[in-house]
Amino acid sequence: MNWKLYKNELIVAVSLVLMLSALLYKNNKISSRAQEMSHHKQTATELKELISLQKIWIDKKVSKKVDKLEKIVPSSKVKWSKKGKKLTAAYKDLDPKELNKLITNILSMAVQIQELKINRNDSSYDVEFKCKW
Amino acid sequence: MSFLGNSKVLLLAYSGMKEHSLSHSVNIMLTPQFYTLKKEKLPVKYLYQAKKIAPSLFDGLVEDIQKYDYLVYKEEDEWVFIAYDLEIISNFLLSKGIKPEQVVKIFFAQQASSSFTGPVLLGEREALVSLDNTVVIVPQVAVKENDDILLFGDSFTPKTGVTLQGVQGSILNKKQTMGLSAIFILFSFMFFVEGWRYAPDSQATEEEMQMLLEEHPSLQSEYTRESIATKYKTIDKNERKKRDVVKTLAGMIFKGVKIGSFNLNEKEFKVEFICSDAKVAKRLVQLAKKVKFSSAKVMTDNVVNIEEKL
Repeated sequence: MNWKLYKNELIVAVSLVLMLSALLYKNNKISSRAQEMSHHKQTATELKELISLQKIWIDKKVSKKVDKLEKIVPSSKVKWSKKGKKLTAAYKDLDPKELNKLITNILSMAVQIQELKINRNDSSYDVEFKCKW
Repeated sequence: MSFLGNSKVLLLAYSGMKEHSLSHSVNIMLTPQFYTLKKEKLPVKYLYQAKKIAPSLFDGLVEDIQKYDYLVYKEEDEWVFIAYDLEIISNFLLSKGIKPEQVVKIFFAQQASSSFTGPVLLGEREALVSLDNTVVIVPQVAVKENDDILLFGDSFTPKTGVTLQGVQGSILNKKQTMGLSAIFILFSFMFFVEGWRYAPDSQATEEEMQMLLEEHPSLQSEYTRESIATKYKTIDKNERKKRDVVKTLAGMIFKGVKIGSFNLNEKEFKVEFICSDAKVAKRLVQLAKKVKFSSAKVMTDNVVNIEEKL
């Protein structure tokens, strides 16, 4: 076979192959970059989530914030025991307003509630609360 | 044996030539019967410029000008233009038993004008001679008796020639080839550039991630990250659940409903609502079921109990 006769077709075929290779290269590059980017974005999102979780649950100011729970009601109604990063508190004869205030404060703090007990005595409430952070 | 030049046998092609039966490839030299010659003194310096104006020079001289190709070269101070139709040439060669694939190169007699120091006989009636540096066909009677008759041979082979490609077996001609190749190469270039330029897009995310990792070096190891994530995600999930339960239960207290007792720990919660009458108790149970506390039930004295796992 005399290849010189088909030189034109050969040139066109080679340039076509070159174009297809370039297209393949482009698509591969885009696809691999998209995957890489997606992976990076996912990792970045996870990192941010992790950092925000750490910020919430390893808050060094929690200990101070917890102390407010002692002063939220008259001291005569509170039995307070705070050891390290653990708290055991007992509240007695709380009126509904005091109870609401106490519960709202407890719920807004980044502490791990171990136990929360509320008992009604006529028109007042007794609360037992255990938590750690 | 020449390593530089073309060592193929050179055949002289003229209209009255005999048929050939070739077993090897050859070079062909065409007589002026197959081309149109024009010599011009033009104010152009480069070959590409001369090639560009070649078609306009033959306008009116040749029919169907679109089918013609041109060989252009400079001879001293003149430009030599040779117009030829490859299809006519190819068909003629085929009629003489020479297949296009057997033709390596085609040359024009004009290219070897300096070699025609004497007449070359073409059959019995005509001869090829060089007059004023132009190769022409003349009747043999016009050849002077004292002229030395030359024998045509490989020594007439010029340096450059044209190929028959694009005529037989080939679908594409030179222009189509160039056009298509140019388009494909342009697209190749575009695709390569596009692919290459796509790379920097992910840098912003990478930089952001690097910055976060630098600020929190403890999170650099994926294993540590996974371990921390598992720990805090669990805490977060459980604590949110506890708070949601308390908020949902607080939302269930309406007129005629009081909380009797409530007990929440890590695993479960238990609540006792005191209702003013049976109707309120029933309504409270319905409300509890609506918020997916399916264990809600009315006990004695219009007391509603809910006990659920967290």
